[in-house]
Amino acid sequence: MSTPTEGSETAAATAAEGATAERSANSFLGDVWTNFKRWNLKAVRNPFVLVVSLVQPIIFLVLFTQVFGTVAGGALPGGISYETYLVPAIAIQVSLAAAVTSGIGLVNDIEEGMFEKVLVSPMNRTAVFLGKTMAELLRIALQIGIILVLGVALGAEITTGVVGAVGIAAAGVLFSLWFIAFSNTLAVLTRDQESTIIAANLLQFPLLFLSSAFLPLESLPGWIRTVAMLNPVTYGVDAARAIILDADVMTVIDVSLGYGGALDTLVPAVAVLLALDLALGAVAVAMLSRATSSKVR
Amino acid sequence: MSQDTTRRTDGVGAAGAADAGHEYAIDAERIEVTYSDGTRAVRGVDLQVPRGEFFGFLGPNGAGKTTTIKTLATLLSPTGGAVRVNGFDVASEPRKVRESIGYMAQETSVDPELTARENIQFACEAYGVPRGERAERIDELLDLADLADVAEKEADEFSGGMKKRLDAATALVHRPPLVFLDEPTTGLDPKARNRLWDYFRRINEQGTTVFLTTQYLEEADQLCERLSVIADGEIVATGSPDGLKRRVGGEILDIELAAAEGVDTGGPDDPRERAAAVAHETDLFADATVETTADGITVTARDARAHGTDLLVALRDEGLGVTGFNIRAPTLDDVFLAITGEHVDAEDEAADEVAP
Repeated sequence: MSTPTEGSETAAATAAEGATAERSANSFLGDVWTNFKRWNLKAVRNPFVLVVSLVQPIIFLVLFTQVFGTVAGGALPGGISYETYLVPAIAIQVSLAAAVTSGIGLVNDIEEGMFEKVLVSPMNRTAVFLGKTMAELLRIALQIGIILVLGVALGAEITTGVVGAVGIAAAGVLFSLWFIAFSNTLAVLTRDQESTIIAANLLQFPLLFLSSAFLPLESLPGWIRTVAMLNPVTYGVDAARAIILDADVMTVIDVSLGYGGALDTLVPAVAVLLALDLALGAVAVAMLSRATSSKVR
Repeated sequence: MSQDTTRRTDGVGAAGAADAGHEYAIDAERIEVTYSDGTRAVRGVDLQVPRGEFFGFLGPNGAGKTTTIKTLATLLSPTGGAVRVNGFDVASEPRKVRESIGYMAQETSVDPELTARENIQFACEAYGVPRGERAERIDELLDLADLADVAEKEADEFSGGMKKRLDAATALVHRPPLVFLDEPTTGLDPKARNRLWDYFRRINEQGTTVFLTTQYLEEADQLCERLSVIADGEIVATGSPDGLKRRVGGEILDIELAAAEGVDTGGPDDPRERAAAVAHETDLFADATVETTADGITVTARDARAHGTDLLVALRDEGLGVTGFNIRAPTLDDVFLAITGEHVDAEDEAADEVAP
């Protein structure tokens, strides 16, 4: 310490002045970076979070391909292996599972008092949430990478190569945003870890099974096709699948944009997901700014 | 305020002198907090805390301590009144206020997944401590908080007292001129409490204004130069700890009496009434307050400790059976009783047991 023992008012005043002047060094991006680092560190420290959101999808990938592979393969058009068909769905499943942990992280922060601690700091609040979300998106992209490597090891084939792999990760990230927003909204509403986990997990299985994830929709009952059309998972899976196969795979809405091939799926799928991300993102932002506001209620 | 522009390059002394309000670390007028359900948590609280002071805010649970401290720390906007902290208005310049204060919440707030060092590091970055000073500042705070040996351990493994000290350290990274401590020692064992007290004293000696809330009179007594007592959202007394204790009128002697058979309760033959009369008549105590309780009497007097045994002898001479007695320092409950005429649910009894 440079001045402490001299104490009294001048020291305090200098400290105040110093702190104020020094603060100008802290920028919006600096605040984003600070929070990005913290959440990455937490993810590494707590492998549970990483593992839990990977284990179930990996079990699905291995079991489904081994158990249903031969049967399901017959329902697929044009000699696509079930491994190749399933890998995009598992990538989306990872996004879904990992997105839940975003809300859980927020609830934990609220329960541990870190949320308030951040609010009482001079950091920009948008930067705080941006940094946290970016750390989560990075984690999702890496987890999808792991699934892709595993999928290829099991026999899946990424037609579009490394560029395609990056594209699938991007589709997963784009898909995850709405569910990240949703889980954060749940977190702010319930402020309770168990409720957030239960509510988010309860939704996971119906969302996955009532979509184009595991089997072609043509081979499923009509009502499932109807639900699948309204299910965001369908659009996420179709986007990822269009990339891995380099083909138009979307069956829920028939758009012929004339691009031909994968773009006929990608363009509508990305549009739907973007709209959904924006809508739920807006809700989450509203909920978060309510939660961070100092207004008396 | 004109001087609170972004450029503050001229000497702080001059700027401070130009603004009379800046002499106070906290200058709050008539803070009101009314929740939407109509609950009036804070009702017109005035607070002037000069810089460098160790100020205490004393009151029972639910009196409005935390609500008030949150309005001062920009976490809650008061529904009425004006608050200036370090010369900045909490409503119009919340970020300036946040930069210039440290805040330690009632619930321990550390990230359990980060190490002690990483927790302080995060706070350094959050408060914009210049990169070049961070390493030194972190080591210094780890030392101050007595956590240097466990700096690389995750906070999850820490005891309650260690977490509290770490929490306090993170509130000090930017060397704020004003620190808010909201019931920092609640739930700690006496040893951990004493260690934190030392720590707070050191901070204050270094020139930091400390605003501390507590339910414990003893804590306020040990640390604070001045304190305010809050009850039901209103300040009911302000003064030095000694001054407040004087309002209680000294130490307290509780005497338990053997019950007598076949005597009217409250009648002149009731042993409690007889004992009260003895306490009054013996002139043992200067300025004593004598009250009857469920099973005996309570004498409050400055010299209760010195002359307590004399009273016991006098009671025996009157043929009254004493079954137990206890001399103790005034508690928060006694201060409250003296100030408001009402009891609070005192959780801390600085009891000084004497075996009969």
